[in-house]
Formats: sequence, structure tokens, C-alpha cells
Amino acid sequence: MLLPKQMTRVLIVGSRGALKDTIEVLYQLEAAHLIDFSAEEEGFSLGAPLPESSEASQKLLKLRSLEKDMGLDDMEVTGQMGTADIEKDLTETIAALEAEITGATESKNRISVRINELEAEKAVLQNFQALPLNLELYRDYDSLKVFTGRVRGDPSAALKAAAPQSEVFISTNGDFVAAFVGKAQADEAQKALVQFGFTEVPAPAGNVSPQQMVAKVEEELTALRSSMEESIKKLEELKDKHSIFVKAADEHLSIIVAKAETPLRVGTTEYTFAMDAWVPTSDMPKVEKAISEKLGGKVHIESLEVMSRREAHGHHEGEEHHEAKVEEIPSKTENGKTVRKFEFMARMLSTPKYREIDPAVTMMITIPIFFGLMVGDIGYGIPFMILGLIGLKKCVSDEWRTISTLLFFGGIWATIFGMFMFGEAYGIHFAEQHHDMSWSSLLGVELPHEISLGGFEIPLGIYSKLHNVKEILYMTLWIGIAHIFIGFCIGFYNKSIRFGFKHAVIEKVSWLMILLGGALLLLLLVDAMIRGKALSLTDLRILIAAPLLLVGIIMAYKGEGSGAILELPGLMGNIISYTRLAAIGMSKAGLALAFNTIAFEVMWGHDFHVMGSNNGDMIMLIAALGIFLIGHLTIFVLAIISAGLHSLRLHYVEFFMKFYEGGGVEFKPLKVIRKYTTDKNGVSE
Amino acid sequence: MADAGLIAIGAGIAVGITGLASAWAEKEIGSAAIGAMAENEKLFGKGLILTVIPETIVIFGMVVAILLWLNM
Repeated sequence: MLLPKQMTRVLIVGSRGALKDTIEVLYQLEAAHLIDFSAEEEGFSLGAPLPESSEASQKLLKLRSLEKDMGLDDMEVTGQMGTADIEKDLTETIAALEAEITGATESKNRISVRINELEAEKAVLQNFQALPLNLELYRDYDSLKVFTGRVRGDPSAALKAAAPQSEVFISTNGDFVAAFVGKAQADEAQKALVQFGFTEVPAPAGNVSPQQMVAKVEEELTALRSSMEESIKKLEELKDKHSIFVKAADEHLSIIVAKAETPLRVGTTEYTFAMDAWVPTSDMPKVEKAISEKLGGKVHIESLEVMSRREAHGHHEGEEHHEAKVEEIPSKTENGKTVRKFEFMARMLSTPKYREIDPAVTMMITIPIFFGLMVGDIGYGIPFMILGLIGLKKCVSDEWRTISTLLFFGGIWATIFGMFMFGEAYGIHFAEQHHDMSWSSLLGVELPHEISLGGFEIPLGIYSKLHNVKEILYMTLWIGIAHIFIGFCIGFYNKSIRFGFKHAVIEKVSWLMILLGGALLLLLLVDAMIRGKALSLTDLRILIAAPLLLVGIIMAYKGEGSGAILELPGLMGNIISYTRLAAIGMSKAGLALAFNTIAFEVMWGHDFHVMGSNNGDMIMLIAALGIFLIGHLTIFVLAIISAGLHSLRLHYVEFFMKFYEGGGVEFKPLKVIRKYTTDKNGVSE
Repeated sequence: MADAGLIAIGAGIAVGITGLASAWAEKEIGSAAIGAMAENEKLFGKGLILTVIPETIVIFGMVVAILLWLNM
């Protein structure tokens, strides 16, 4: 259950003619993780794709280009189609669709090109509109040269000086000029113009006034724009009408291609094939039965080895080869609905190996608790719960679902801790403690310090985050010790199934002993430093801790070499690292206190001990509530980032280092996932 | 208590300097981690862990500061 499912390595051999049916059967079983055939083995060569592959690929290529034209690439489409409906006249339908869509797209593109041309023409004409000349007046002179173009500044005076016999027209805003100059003086005139940043704009053809030309162009543009709209509408219609077919056919053909290319992963000879695969041991009877029944003796399946969790650790020959195979055993984890929500968090680090416990289970328990402890406030806990619940309902992507999971379960714990342990909402205690602001004094209602449930008095708020720092710090150290203890225990289990009991004892029990010895010493230190008791060497705790530490260190040294000694301070660091649980809670409580003080004491001027003596006015009350809201929203967002990240980090760094290796291969059986198609013949959903 | 001011300054230095140290270390690691992630998005988890490792320095600083404060 905690370990990935046990795998059996199987060899499937058969006559080459039965290859296609074998692939079909394996796809229906969804239980075989194929091992890519390596061309080392003599006499075998890689299989060739099945004949239907190339035709299907071609159609697929056409479909994909259609999808691009229709803008369907990343779009989600609703609906499903039966494979039989798709198969019917598939070639003709694709061809017809292609003609239709390509036609529509092309005409749309043509129109848009023409629109761009006309827009450019219009821009040129608008320059000439500013001058009082018809377009035919700009050309066909024998003795004159015509300059038309944009300028910066008025060049008339300079032109007159350079070419006295010239005629200059300039637009009213002074940035467009037309100059008629005698050919003899053309060079001089050009030089003069260049001084004013002249860029030539040739006059367009035509015999009418520029205004008339612009009107004509506008007319054509309006017509084109409306036909553009029409063709866009037509494309939209085509998209609506055919999107489901295109998506479904794409999926159908992709499946055909995937199946038809499976032989590329299989070794074949002229008449036979051999397939190497991993099958979960529990699925073996099902697979054997299906192969013998459906393939009628043409194919034989043989179980080569049921993979044990034990790793070969001896120095026998061929170890290298064996180790290489070991690395490839895929891990198939079967987690329940809740644990599966945490899988992504663990996978983000690494996929578990075949021979180790899937850490998602442990994360499910402790991540929300840590998150809750750091937040520890029902004012944030309840919104976190609601937000998480909404996220789990609405979100699809793994990342968002993971965040929602964290918020939901973390929110539950934050509410529990906030209710019973810290007894506060938005950084304000329910009942008065340590003469602080409290909800009792703010609302003028006496809130109880404890509630009684079935005869038990359950306190609402034992500790205050800012007043009981010592106690909370001390508690977090013990949480750290317990968490790391669990980590070493899981590490012990992992090592013992992989390398045997003795190996596990040397590697992990040594650390457990060091940890326990250290914990006893911590008790002693607290007594000595905080309670101020005298240290005595005959204290029972020293008598137990010293041998534990000594033996542990020696064992670790023997098991892991001198590196173990260097890791000792690391272990201490790991435990102190758990004080962040207190530190982050404190920092949030500090921020909340600051905002609450600003809002209620400074702005509202409310003497929080007596409700009646308030002399602040309504406007200040509203402003105070505004500050309260913004401040707590800030803390709320910060809580997601800091509490969420830090509880993850405590797992990844402090906890997982004690047992988790990762780097496994995920179990990926041959199977088809249908989203847009339904297949009546197939077993798959 | 004349020492109270000195203790407060000491606590401040403990948190402040360790905070700077963490920040500096995280800056170096973080930029490298982002670089690695740009090449392979799957490294997000590992990058995140490596980036927050130096955070422990400031936690140590804070523990020292709290111990000082408790002795005030």
C-alpha cells in the first residue's frame, strides 16, 4: 500500500503476424509498461511501424494544419464522437473540410492584404489632400522637376534663394511640401530641401483631386471591411460546426499512430517478435488469461522475474548489468483519493523508486499540521478552508489543485489550532489575556476562556503567540525531534527492504540513537539554562544519553565513514530549523498586532478596555476598518507564501533527507486516453 | 537594568546580520535556480529547496535573539 505495487518482468513472444493483435490486447489491458528494445541482442532488429501508420500520419498532418487555421490548437471543445462515425468517409471529409477552410482562410488573407495596401495608399493621399492641386498636375513636365514630400520646417525661403524661379506649395501644418523647380536648378533645390529633412513621397497616379481619390479608396475599404467581417463570420461558423469532428478525428488518428508505432519499441526477427515489459504482479493472471484467450496460442507470455524489493548488494559477477536493470523498474503507486491530492507535491521533488515508500502519505499528515501551526488563527483558517474548497472544485491543473489542497487541509488545522491552542482570530484573542486587546473588550461581550463539551472543559487558547514564546519554541523543538524520528524510522524500513536488516541497523538505528541521546540532553539543557537548576553528572538523563550518543556515533562512523561525524551538527541544525514553526507564527502575530493597534487604538481612538467610553466618530471607525481589512489581507497572502513554502521546505529538506531517494520511473502502461472519442469495440472508457 | 539596551542591540544584530546573510545566499542560489528552471521546468521542486536552504541561517539568528530577549 505504501510501497509502489510489485512488478513482474515479462517476456511476450509470438509470431510476427500476431504482433498487431498483441498490441491491441495490451492497449486494452492497460497493464504493461513496455521496455524499449535495445538493439544489442543478436538476431533481433527493431520492428517496423504497422502499415496503417503512414496513412494515418498523413491525415493527422492535414488535420493539425486545419486546427491551426481554425485556431483550435489550445482550445477546449465539448462533445464526443464515436470512432465509427469518424472512420466513415474520413478521407473525403478531411479533403472537403480542407478545401472549405483553406478557401475561407485564403480569401480572408487576400482581403486583409488588400486592406493593408489601401490603407497605405490612403495615408499617402492624405498628405496631398493638404495641397490645392489635382493629381495630374504633379507629372509630365518637360522643363520642370517636381519635388513632393515631408519636411520639418518651412523651406520656401531657402528654396527661393536656391532656385528663384520656383513655385512652392506647403500644407497648412507645414510638414508637407510640393515644389516645382526648373530642371537647371533642380540640384540646388534638392540640396536646399535636404536641409529641412526632406523625404520624398511620390505623387500617386490619377487625374482627379486627392479628395476624390480618398473618397474612392474609402469606398473600397468599407466594402472590403464588410466582406472581411463576413469571411471571419464564415470561419467562425465553420469552426463551430467542425471543431468537434476535427478534435475527435485528431484524437482517433493519434491513437492509431501511437498503436501502429509501438513495434518500434519491440525486437523482431523475420517471423517472430519479442516484447519486454513490466506488469504489476497482481495484474498477471488477467494479462495471461487475456493473451491466451484472445490470441489463441500464437503468442506466449512468460514471467521472467518477480522483482523483490531487495537489492543485490554482493560482489557477484555481472552486478553492473543487474544494477542497470534495477534502475528501470517503474513505480506504480496506488493512493487513495486524499493522498493522491498530495502526490504532486512529492513528485515535484522526484518520483519515488520502486523500492521505497511513497512519501505522499507522510506529507498528507504533517504538511497541513505544520501549515496550521504556523497560521494558527481562525480568522485566516476559515477563509483558507473556503478558498481551498473552491479551488478543489474549480481548478483543473495540477499546480492549482495542489495549492488548493494545501489551503483546504491547512485551513482545517489552522482553525483547530487557532480555536483551541491560540484562541485568536485576526491576531486578537477571544477572551482577555495579558491585558491585550481582545474580542471580548472590542465587542463588549464576555467570551469564555473555555467551553465544556460532554463534561470536559476544553480551553479556548492556551498559549499566546507573543507572550508564551518560550513554551512554543520548546514545543517546536520537540515537533522537530518527533518528525525527524519518524523520518529515520521510514529510512530504516526502506533500507531494510533494500539491503537487509543489518545494513539498516548500522545506517539508521545509529542516527536514531544519536537523536534520542540529543533529545535527552535537550531536556537537561532546558533545565539548566532556563529553569536554572544545577547540572549534575550523575543525572539519570546523562547516564542514558551518553552511551546512546557514543554507540550511535561509532555505529554511524562504521556505517558511513567520517562523513557521519560531519553530519552531526547538521542534525542539530535540522532540529533547530523546526523553530521556524514558532518563528513564522510569531512574525504573523506581530504584524497582526501592529495593524490592530493602528486600526483600533490609534485611528479609532477606542479605549479597548471599556466599550462605552469610545469617543471616536463614524468616519474614523470606517477608516480603521479599512486599515484592518487591508492589513489582514496582506497577512493572509503572506501566510500562503510563507507558511505554505516553509512547511513544504521542512519536508523536502529536513524530513525527506532522512529516507527519500527518489529518481524512480513512473509506471506508464500502454493505454489510450479518450477525451473526444468513444470506442464501442474497445474496453477502455 | 542597564544591560537591557545592550541586550536589545545584540538581539537586533543577531537577526539583522543573519537576515542579510540569508538574503545574500538566497540571491545567489535563486538566480541560478531560475536559470536552471528556464532550461528544464521539472527542476522547480529542487530549485525551490535549494533556494530556501540558507533560510536556516536567519532562523538560527532569530532563536539567538529570542533567547537574549527572554533573558532581558
